[in-house]
Order: sequence, then structure tokens, then C-alpha cells
Amino acid sequence: MLSTNRILEGVRIISFTTGYAGPFAGRLLAQFGADVIKVESLHGGLDSFRHFAKGKDVDAAPRFIECNLGVRSLTVNLKTPVGVQLIKELAARSDAVLENFRPRVLERLGLGEKELREANPGIIILKMPGMGEKGPKSKYGTWGFNLNSFCGMTYLWNHPGQSRPVGSQGVYPDHVGFIMAPTLMVAALLRRRLTGEGVSIDMAQVEAAAYMLGVSYLEAAVNQSGPEPAGNLDPTASPHGCYPCEGKDRWCVLSVRTDEEWRSFCLVMGRGDLADAPRFRSRQARCQNREEIDKIAAEWTRSRTAGEVMKKLQEARVAAGVVQNGNDLINDPQLRHRNYFARFASSPVGSFELPRGALRFNGMADEPLSLPARLGANTDEILRDILGYDEDTIAKWHEEGILS
Amino acid sequence: MGASSPRLLSGLRVLDISNAMGAFCGKLLCDLGMDVTKVEPPSGDPLRREPPFASGHAHREGSLRFAYLNAGKRGITLDLTRPAGQELFLNLVERSDVVLESLEPGYLDKVNLGYDVLAKRQPKIVLASLTGFGQSGPYRDFLAPDIVTTAMGGLLYISGDPSFPPCMPPETQSYYYASIYTAYGVMLALWQRESKGIGVHIDASVQASIALHEHIAFTYSLEGRIMRRAGSQHQHVAPANLFPCEDGTISIFVSEPHWSSFLEVWKEHPPELEDPRWTSNAERRAHADWLNPLVASFTSSFAKEELSLLLQEHGIPGLPVNRPDEFMRDPHIQDRGFFGPVTHPALGSYQQAGVPFTVNGDRPEPLPAPTLGQHNSEVYGSELGLNEQDIQVLAAEGVI
Repeated sequence: MLSTNRILEGVRIISFTTGYAGPFAGRLLAQFGADVIKVESLHGGLDSFRHFAKGKDVDAAPRFIECNLGVRSLTVNLKTPVGVQLIKELAARSDAVLENFRPRVLERLGLGEKELREANPGIIILKMPGMGEKGPKSKYGTWGFNLNSFCGMTYLWNHPGQSRPVGSQGVYPDHVGFIMAPTLMVAALLRRRLTGEGVSIDMAQVEAAAYMLGVSYLEAAVNQSGPEPAGNLDPTASPHGCYPCEGKDRWCVLSVRTDEEWRSFCLVMGRGDLADAPRFRSRQARCQNREEIDKIAAEWTRSRTAGEVMKKLQEARVAAGVVQNGNDLINDPQLRHRNYFARFASSPVGSFELPRGALRFNGMADEPLSLPARLGANTDEILRDILGYDEDTIAKWHEEGILS
Repeated sequence: MGASSPRLLSGLRVLDISNAMGAFCGKLLCDLGMDVTKVEPPSGDPLRREPPFASGHAHREGSLRFAYLNAGKRGITLDLTRPAGQELFLNLVERSDVVLESLEPGYLDKVNLGYDVLAKRQPKIVLASLTGFGQSGPYRDFLAPDIVTTAMGGLLYISGDPSFPPCMPPETQSYYYASIYTAYGVMLALWQRESKGIGVHIDASVQASIALHEHIAFTYSLEGRIMRRAGSQHQHVAPANLFPCEDGTISIFVSEPHWSSFLEVWKEHPPELEDPRWTSNAERRAHADWLNPLVASFTSSFAKEELSLLLQEHGIPGLPVNRPDEFMRDPHIQDRGFFGPVTHPALGSYQQAGVPFTVNGDRPEPLPAPTLGQHNSEVYGSELGLNEQDIQVLAAEGVI
């Protein structure tokens, strides 16, 4: 049986990444079989997510583990000429470089595009800086949180009519970046396979985030006004939104569009009397009388669990769901059915499960995933097996502080 | 394919029979340079009837949602429920590399166009199926509008101000997000096809694409902790929030490396904040309710762009909260040429969001969406070799 874990077998990628988006992009390539070699250094070059470690063990950071599954670890001091030379030699034996440092950091180390291409003319270089390689704000430091604000996502992610923006506590642009980047990486690998050409790609994370708001920009451009936050409103459905359920801070979502769905919804609620009421009979009428419908729906959902609401309505072909929290996700029978969670019985932070991702390939097995290698754990084998150095040379470079 | 072409995968062909759920995937494949043909029922893709509309009026060519999500695709009409339509479709499949669909699970089997049927005609075909919950399992047949998949994926629960109900992100983010994920699946499948000479059926789930966001499931598994709504306050860092300015709002994110610089910029900070204990993210986050109003009194005397520049000069991540039109006018975004002009036969000329990457410094130009059936004669005539009369008969019978 074929395995999803080996689709990219034989592809080698050097990863200069830190934080969330860049490392996770590397993880998603490693998960499907690429040999992703993450380069770090104790001389000021550790992944920033290692700072979330409790205690002194830099491998004991949950965030770091989540974002670097299956990745090999090479420690090299890039402030030494030998360190830089080793990376050039590794580039000559690799297919691609993945990078999410601020612009020109690698250039200053002598590992810019020019040097990498000299080492390997066919290499693919994928950079994913926050604001892009070029432009007046390219040097800006940004987190996904800030990019959400900049592109308009924060402004629009709100209930209507609020006095101030809210947006999200999270870092949505990081999520966009970390799935867009491996997509571009494999596209570039395919192009090289089909044409022989290795390309350089600049994927500004701010633009990847903005790519997700194209309809809103079109509305602003074509209609010369808006858009404004819509929250849980959908102008084409009623009821539509979040409704309170039994339990503290428990909610369900409902979305009723067609007349048939409305009829089923009324019957499930035991309110057949409302199905043909003139003020609710058409979709347009239901949208006009949204407030009254919301009240009726909430009255019914309030005394039921969100799970019961979902089950009863979905069985009647009405769209409904549980607003699931972390506990619900871990116990979700549908996700379990998809073998969604990779289980780790032991790790530097204890045992846990975490999501594999959205894809299944029919007829192919999903093998277990592996933890990130411990910091520097693969340094010697990479120098020996890929670059061909002997034990004495490696030992000498260790002593000189080049391999840490 | 020219050596300098920014269209990465030109020459590869996609048949896109997806609906609102998967349309963005087809768009991305298009932006990767593939030749994507959108197949609509003769009455038009239901997405054409979805708001927002140009000038606010419903019109078959006026849906801005359709216009963006199908930008750059070719458009043909075809009735897949009729045998003549199915045969035409299989002829097109023979000439394609990828079929993209987001119909209800089992629908393609019902119209005799399941993976096995497609693979019989084109053994190396990649069939990408995107659905709310997946091709099998207890929730397989659940209806899955964007609000349901966002809720079931866990993102909705942690979104918004805790004094309000959970709040949906704008547009149909869960569909878009899952669409990018599906495109990644297509890339992997094409890579496998090049290495092993086989096609595959991809089973992508919107719910599963969202359920890996924001460490929600992982945090519960590892710590037994349920993440909750927190407005715009980041989980682990403070000040990492939105703050008021004279003319709007700014987002500031000050983690450990930036704390001392932040105190330099914030000249009138309370002296006790210089105590080294405040360097720790955890310490500042634990006192965010005390710290945030103090920071707000500092930020509120600046204009948002002015403060952003000042912070960035000190290396501190701070960016204004923009409306979409403000983002479009931002000098940096203008300089990078992210938006580009598009001319559409019904909508006129306008600026459209472009492709979010450059290839060797070049960016593929944004293109308009097809009008209904715009490429029928090109595809059925020039490519499948039907003559004018055949095409007229098919049209008269309502097949195309």
C-alpha cells in the first residue's frame, strides 16, 4: 500500500525558519516525505518558538514541537566562514530553500540568492517574509496578528455596528502562509521537473492574507463603498448565526435558506404553525423578519444541547452545527473517523495528540508522524552522509564552535 | 512555457466543477498557471446569484463573489445530469490532468462520474474532492455552509468579544482555507503522478482544515485547557492587542525581544515597568488588564500611521487597523503592485487583488472571470472538434 508519508521522498529542503508560519510550512512538507533540514544556531539563531519552553530544555516547547514535526535539525554557526561554506555545500545537494526571516538577513550572512544559485543553479528559493522582499515597508517587523489588522481582516471580523474593531486573538495570516507556502513549493518542484528551471518565489505573507479578502476589495473597488463588518449575518439566510444552547458559553449555529429547509426547521421545533405564516413564507420575508425569527430559534435552542440541535436538524436536512471547543474537537467522531489525530505517547513535553491536516488520499496509508529531531541531533549525520566529511573533521569543527 | 513566465504550471489542465466551497481552489490552481476550465450548469453556477453584487443589483454577470473566485478561469456550460453531458465531460477528462469538485459526497457516483469511471477514461487523473466533512464518516452527509464548518472546526468558538456570541470572520474563510489545502493536495498528487505514474482521489475536508488552527485541539490535548474568546487579546503575550489612536486603531505586538525598545518609545511609561520581571511575556500577559489601558493612553495621542512608523523604527511590530480601501491605497501595497487592473465585459474596469507571490520577481497579471458559456465554442469546437451544427444541437437540447 502506498503511503502519504512518502509522496515527497527524495526531495531535500533546507529550512531557515522561525516562529509559526515558516516552520509549519516545513512540517507540512516533511509530513509528506520531504527531507526538511532546519538550520539553527546557539549563536543567536534559535527558532523563536523555542522560547516558549518551560525550563532550560529548548526542545521542550509545545509550540515548537507542533510546528516542526518530522523535521531534521542541523546546528551551524553562520557567523563563521566554514559554517557558510557548509550551507553552500548542502545547497548544492538540495532541491530547495525555505525561508521566513526578515528580508536580507541571509544576504548579510553571505547566503543570498546569488550565492545559493552559484552553489546550485537549479535550486528553488521560497521566501515568505511578512511584508515581502521589496517595497517601502519591507523592513517592517510583523506578526500574523499585525498583518490581520493591516489587510482589513481585523476591521471586517466583527459584529455589525460596533464602536471599535475586534478581529481575532489569533494569527490567521500565519495559517494562510503555512499552507500557501508548501503549495507553492511543490508547484515549483513540479515546474522544475517539467522544464528544468528552478525559480525564486517571494510570497509576502501580507499578500497571502489579502488574497483571502478579494471579494471585499472588489466590493470597495467596484461599488466605491464598504464593505462593512457582517458578523454572523448572511443576507440570504434566516435564521443564520450563533444561538445559545444549554451549558455555560455553549452555542450552536443555524443556517436556513430555502423554503423547504424552513419548513423542516419548523417541524423539528414542533412549530408547524410557523411554516406557512405569511411573514415567514419566502426567504425574502424571513430575512426581513430576522429579529423575530432569531428570537424563536433561540427560545428553542436555549434548552437543548448544541449536539442535540445539530443532530435533530441535520437529520431533517437543515444546516446546523455545534460551536465546538478544544474538548469537542479532540472527541469529534468525524475527525476520529478520518484518523485525524496523530498520537505521541511521549515527548519532551509529555503525551499529546495533534491534528494531521485536511487531506486524505484514498487507498493510501497515513503512517505515524515523528517528533522534531532534538536541536542539533542530525548535524553529524548530515555532514557525514550528505556532505561526505570524516569523523575527525566533524569533531574538530565541534571543538571550534562551528557546529553549534 | 517561457523561461521567465511567472505562470508556474502552464500546460496542466483542470476541470473545475466545484461550487462555492471549492471555487477558490480552482482560482488558486489558475494563479499557479494551470489552465482551469470552470464547468457550469446551463443555468449558471449558483454562485452567480450570491451577493455582493456590483451596484447592489442581482444580475447574472454581476456577482462580485463569482467574479473574484473564478477570476482567470475559462467558462463552459454543461449539464452533468444528462447522458450526453456526461459523455462530453468524459471526453474533456481525457484531455485533463485534474478534476476539482466540491459537490455532496456520493453525487459524482450517482451521475456515473465517480473516480473509477474517470480513471477508466484517464488512468492518471487526479480527482480532488472537497466537502464539509469528508467522503465518509458519521457527518459525511451533513449540510455544510461556511458557518457550520467554521463552528465545527473550532475557530468560531475562540473568535470575538467574550461579551457577545462567537463572531464569524468575513467572506467564507473556511471554504477559502480548505481550498488552499486542497490545492496542496493537488500538488502532492501531481508530484506522485510524475514519480509513480498514477492518479489518486483526494478526500479533503473543510472542517479538518480549520480544526488545526490556533492550537485549539493541541492545547486541550496537552494541557486540558479550553481556549475561549478573548476579543483581540493574544493568548500568551501583552501588550499584544488593538489600541486606540487619534484617527483609528493600531495593532501592537510586544514580545520579549521588543519590550525594552517599547519602553524607549513609550517615554512616559510607569517607572516600575523597568523592573526586569516585566521582560517575561508570561508576567506581562498575566497583568494585561492593568497594562492595556496604560498603553492605550500612550497610543491615543498619535495618528495610526505615525505611531506605526515610530514603532517600526524601533523594530517593534505595530501596524494600523485598515479598512479594505485603506489597505488598497497603502503606498507599500501600491508599490508592490499587488492590485492590478482588470476589464470585465459586464462589470467594467476595476482594481482586483492579484496573485500573492512573485516568480523570479514577476507577478502573473490578474484576469477577469468568464461570462456564462464564454468559452463554449473554443472548448467544444477547437478542442473537442465538434462542428458548429453539433454545438447548436447540444445547446438547443440544453446539454450545454
